[in-house]
Amino acid sequence: MFTFSESSEKQIEKIMKKYPVKRSAILPLLALAQRQDGYITPEAMVEIGKRIDCSPAYVQSVCSFYTMFYTKPVGKYVIQFCINISCHLLGCDDLLEYTANKLNIKVGETTADNKITLLKEECLAECSAAPVMRLNDTYHTNLTREKIDQILDSLD
Amino acid sequence: MDKEQVTLTIDGKTVTVPKGMVAVDAAKTVDIDIPVFCYHEKLGPFGCCRMCLVEVEKMPKLATACTLNVSQDMVIKTDTPKVKKGRNGVLEFTLLNHPLDCPVCDKGGECPLQDNTFEHGPDLTRMEYNRAHHDKATPLSPVITIDRERCIACQRCTRYSDIIEKDTALVMLNRGFHNEVGTFNNEPYDTRFSGNVVDICPVGALTNTQYRFKSRNWDLKNAESLCAHCACNCNIVIGTRQNRFMRVQAKSSENSVSNDFVDDGWICDKGRFGYQFLESKNRILDPRENGIGDSRAGVIETAKKVAASFKKIAEEHGPDSVGFLGSPFGTNEELYLYQKLFRLGLGTNNIDHKLYADSPGLPVDHYDMEDVESADLVLTIASDPTEELPILDLRLKKAVSSLGTKLAVLSDQQTLMDCFACHSLRYNVGSDGTVLQSLTDGLGKKGFKKNKGFETETGIESDAFKELIASLKKSTKVCVIYNPEKLTGDSVHILKSFLTALDKNSEGTCGAIPAAPATNALGAMDMGVLPDYYPGGIPVSNAAKIRELWGDSAPVTEGASASELIQKAESGELKALWIYRCNPLVDFPGGAKLEQALKKLDLLVVHDMLETETTRIAKVVLPSNGPGYDEGTTTNIGGRVQFRKRGIVTQNPADWKILGAMLKELDIESDYRDSFEVTSEIASTVPGYSEVNRKNLRKFGHQREKVSNPKVPESKGSSEKAPDKNALRLRVSNYLFAHDKILDASSSLAHHFQTSSIYIHEDDAKSLGLSSGAEVTIKSDWGEIKAEVQVNNRCNPGGALVPYISDEQGVASLLNPDGGPTWVTFKN
Amino acid sequence: MKLFLTHNIDTKDLHSIKVYKKQGGYGSLEKAFAKKPDEIVQMVKDSGLRGRGGAGFPTGLKWSFLAKDVFPRYLACNADESEPGTCKDRVLLQKNPHLLIEGMILCAYACQIETAYIYLRGEFYDLAEIMDKALEEAYEAGYLGANILGSGMNLEMYTHLGAGAYICGEESALLNSLEGMRGEPRLKPPFPAVEGLYGKPTVVNNVETLCAVVPIMNEGPEAYAAVGTEKSKGTKLVSVSGHVKKPGNYEIPMGLPTRDLIYDLAGGIRDDNELKAWIPGGSSVPMLPASLVDTPYDYEAIAAAGSMLGSGALIVMDHTTNVVEEALRLAGFYMHESCGKCTPCREGTRWLHQILSDIHLKKGKESNIALLEDICDNMSFKCFCPLGDAAVAPVISSIQNFREDYEELLNLAKAGTAS
Ligand SMILES: Cc1cc2nc3c(=O)[nH]c(=O)nc-3n(C[C@H](O)[C@H](O)[C@H](O)COP(=O)(O)O)c2cc1C
Ligand code: SF4
Ligand code: FES
Repeated sequence: MFTFSESSEKQIEKIMKKYPVKRSAILPLLALAQRQDGYITPEAMVEIGKRIDCSPAYVQSVCSFYTMFYTKPVGKYVIQFCINISCHLLGCDDLLEYTANKLNIKVGETTADNKITLLKEECLAECSAAPVMRLNDTYHTNLTREKIDQILDSLD
Repeated sequence: MDKEQVTLTIDGKTVTVPKGMVAVDAAKTVDIDIPVFCYHEKLGPFGCCRMCLVEVEKMPKLATACTLNVSQDMVIKTDTPKVKKGRNGVLEFTLLNHPLDCPVCDKGGECPLQDNTFEHGPDLTRMEYNRAHHDKATPLSPVITIDRERCIACQRCTRYSDIIEKDTALVMLNRGFHNEVGTFNNEPYDTRFSGNVVDICPVGALTNTQYRFKSRNWDLKNAESLCAHCACNCNIVIGTRQNRFMRVQAKSSENSVSNDFVDDGWICDKGRFGYQFLESKNRILDPRENGIGDSRAGVIETAKKVAASFKKIAEEHGPDSVGFLGSPFGTNEELYLYQKLFRLGLGTNNIDHKLYADSPGLPVDHYDMEDVESADLVLTIASDPTEELPILDLRLKKAVSSLGTKLAVLSDQQTLMDCFACHSLRYNVGSDGTVLQSLTDGLGKKGFKKNKGFETETGIESDAFKELIASLKKSTKVCVIYNPEKLTGDSVHILKSFLTALDKNSEGTCGAIPAAPATNALGAMDMGVLPDYYPGGIPVSNAAKIRELWGDSAPVTEGASASELIQKAESGELKALWIYRCNPLVDFPGGAKLEQALKKLDLLVVHDMLETETTRIAKVVLPSNGPGYDEGTTTNIGGRVQFRKRGIVTQNPADWKILGAMLKELDIESDYRDSFEVTSEIASTVPGYSEVNRKNLRKFGHQREKVSNPKVPESKGSSEKAPDKNALRLRVSNYLFAHDKILDASSSLAHHFQTSSIYIHEDDAKSLGLSSGAEVTIKSDWGEIKAEVQVNNRCNPGGALVPYISDEQGVASLLNPDGGPTWVTFKN
Repeated sequence: MKLFLTHNIDTKDLHSIKVYKKQGGYGSLEKAFAKKPDEIVQMVKDSGLRGRGGAGFPTGLKWSFLAKDVFPRYLACNADESEPGTCKDRVLLQKNPHLLIEGMILCAYACQIETAYIYLRGEFYDLAEIMDKALEEAYEAGYLGANILGSGMNLEMYTHLGAGAYICGEESALLNSLEGMRGEPRLKPPFPAVEGLYGKPTVVNNVETLCAVVPIMNEGPEAYAAVGTEKSKGTKLVSVSGHVKKPGNYEIPMGLPTRDLIYDLAGGIRDDNELKAWIPGGSSVPMLPASLVDTPYDYEAIAAAGSMLGSGALIVMDHTTNVVEEALRLAGFYMHESCGKCTPCREGTRWLHQILSDIHLKKGKESNIALLEDICDNMSFKCFCPLGDAAVAPVISSIQNFREDYEELLNLAKAGTAS
């Protein structure tokens, strides 16, 4: 069973008012469900389908198109590491490997304590401050090994 | 509609077509074949496969012909070097990760990918990497196999699910190269129309599980026939190999030309996967007398002998000592000949084929199914298209969602059409007479006034009812679709007065579609398998006309109806009964008493396809080949008469042949050499059918003219009180995949079978102390059955809905044999 | 240098309406409301403003294409900013959100639009929060909502977050995404101006484009058109990234020599290395050799040099770069971002990536180059949307301009097999 929390419900009310067609709310609702549970369960898709008059298959179809939706559990922190051209020119590959080694996982994996998930990401649009990563909702720019150490060490 | 024509050139040929037509279709009109994958005329332009590239003068890039709307003076070229290179490139991409397992692929031989590659593709592959892998052949549902490696992501199937079936059950998952066709959470893709995706998949990704590895397509013999499962009479192609049934496909633009008057190129899953009965072990192959089958006794000889026995009984005890119980499943020819046999050969009008009240003809136009699309309001009454006439369900959805038609649903039960309706009114079970009368009055001068009495009796709110009346009045074209079988008592007569009133009082035109679900329900009425009407709706009271058409010996007194025949068997008045393709022991009310009545007969003959409860007690059993084997015409709900071709050849004589012999035996001239000769006779004697001939039947069939429209009988009206305060009024509803003789346990559709349930309203559940899941025995004055309670408000309080889910369930045993209301109570 | 968009961008707390107004913010509205909507469209036409999202289509002209007399109409601001190398819109969103709102109000007024959405890429969650805050302030101040400043104009404006899909920057895919569908592009025609969001006439404009409307209104189209070149008017916000000393977003007058942009504004090449290659306008445009670095940075000149101005993202590579490696990176990007709807793009991007990987891993063959070229030819202009064309740009241009980098790797491959 999936239920939206009370605070989510309040947001849903606002979200629904934005659009003349319910279906438009699908991305915001998926994002809400993910913020609530960390990832999107099939039950959540069924519930969202009901809210916007769409079949669960439709919800899954849309959900699976977008890479920011996770359908499996992820860590408390998700690192999206940009590997596109501008970051690559400034050595992101090395930093990504460094990060993975430090976390003792492979790219795409989550640490054993379910704390950190490390993902490769395409361009994050902060190219003139490359190398860049996004940790949950926060951008970290001009990365160096030292900076990465600092960031990772500051996570609780 | 914009009918503006434009003239353009395609490969130097001049083409004149309606403006806006896509180039692929325009080219087709001059036999230029532009290769396509994703384009399908019923799904509309999509443009994703890029197969249909063409060059257009003044356009720098190649254009996709499937999305290119033609315009005046356009110059299109489909075979320039640039086009050839483009197509070659697209095919190379398409094949890049395709497994090339054609030798073991069911689509082989009728595969657009093979054909397009053969004609336009590269002869070598430059792909040097491992092709992408997926699980081979996995079940997408119990009847469909999916091979995702073969999928070329044309999205035909998923667009079908979205645009045509309108349930987005089959969708595209993931993105980019990882795109795949799938369902929610890997659940089976199990809908009423799922099989159509097999027909439209341009590769072997979606295949018919039943047919897998059974035959190569080029070894098949394909017969364009009709589906016999319901009264839509969809066009199907029966594929056989060495005279054995292999598969059913829709007759669609993929293999022929679809019949858009009937099915728009689609069929339901019952029509596709429900044909195993053709090879059922319960088929009756030999005649049988007194329980002993005899393969040496000829069918014709036996039939002649029994016909003579009937004649003898009629002479001895009077013509009304014999009777005929026909069926709405026979062809027009078969039914026509049977009524002729009994009327002219035996001198009786004791013939019938149904238990509900109805009379032939309509006081308004008889609309064809296609009229649904041009109507601005469709009103369904007591009809449940999804379960009863599935293709009509698709047609209604199409009209409502893409053609601006409004839908009004007037029913005593919730249906799956409700969510497409702008008026959805649910009346109390049994109150249809009042509802229809109020509708009639509401259209007239009196109008309809807010009325508490009406609300309590029918459960419909006055305001909503008023709105419906207003809509009916102001619409420019109203199409009324009603199921006479589900109207109570004789309220079908009130319905006809309503139609008359509608015709008079609405601003536009109107017409109706009588939507009884049985295959040839309309044909059976037209052919006069009725105690009170001759073919073409001529009432027995019209002696002069009858004499003129049928001769002086034709009986002109009203015969016994189906239920009266049973009563007369019981009382001993009826000595011999002939039952044709009908199983009263299961389908008629009466239960054990009915069986006793039939056993009292001196002679009970059953002429049928499959063994039934009734064949077991018959003195003589004759084999009827039935659909797939025998040919003839049927008349669908839209009045469209079509020819049903055979798919399989059998040694057993066709029914029309048996009937011809019997007629001869009774000294009635009959020299039919094929079923068409019977059809010709029908054309000459049955009003409405005069234009039904071989030529007109070709391709799309022919909509018969109106049959005579006799004065509508007065309704006797009915109002009954519950005998017991705990009693609910029973309504038996239909379920498409009922487990019966046709869909037996070995059917591929067995996974759709349901268990016996009763749906009640939460108010009643509360007062009766029942909750969902409770196992109960439902009791009426005539019988009892077991069912599981489901509290879900599918009908209003006071009603109890029992879907007919199987023969075994025995729901008919609950019903009131005299056609009156049935009240049920519960026992835990 | 005259700057229209960023002259005050570093003002403290510019994102708050108070500071923004102190800087003269929202001053254009009164001026606009004194004119007829069509006059505003004409002003934008006169300014010569061209779309800053990538295609460079004249903005005023686009607005004038809206289907006549069909309402409601919508405005969708394209803040999907996903083109690799591009990070200019985020500066405006982050530091000057009210400028965008003001520009959008002007557009809505000119085009008689009552509902506007700002479609932000999903990763811009923090920017959406800034935008939402700014919208709230604008509503409070009466710049949004019913009867704005007593003009009789109504406008609702909302943010909408995507969820990770480059293709949603393509305008029709953006509309699909906004309607709650998969972000696959739509058939064109009909163009959004005729049948856009919810089937209604819709303006889709980039953040920078919409922001530029404010100075055009304030200072007049002539003042705007006075900057730049004959056909490329005004200023352009350019994201400079890669091997430069001072990467960043620079607003320049159109037509500035690229050399000045790289060597003056961006401080030159890191470690004073040699310039090898530059991509003028984001990953989707052909890369150019150092020899063309004097090309003026404007639509026409860059086109004449064989590339495109695109989204205005200048990616700089020094002589240490093997261009094949970067082409492979971009091929990986397009493979990842292809929506999969059309065959040549879905299959072609993957195939290109497979071959480039081989070459990069020194497993390539001579014949690979011709094969790559032919695959690119089979994709070019044959895909459903321009993403497919974008995907071939880095491959084809790297072969054309830096063939020696391929040959180097192919030779190593040959040597490898020989030994
Ligand atoms: C694959 C693809 C990606 C695009 N991404 C963006 C984008 O991220 N931001 C943007 O403003 N325009 C993008 N565009 C351009 C838009 O389709 C559209 O032309 C633009 O938003 C129009 O606004 P403008 O006229 O103000 O430039 C993209 C186009 C394509 C084909
Ligand atoms: S399964 Fe068949 S119909 Fe469906 S997308 Fe794939 S190729 Fe097309
Ligand atoms: S048939 Fe035209 S693109 Fe597929």
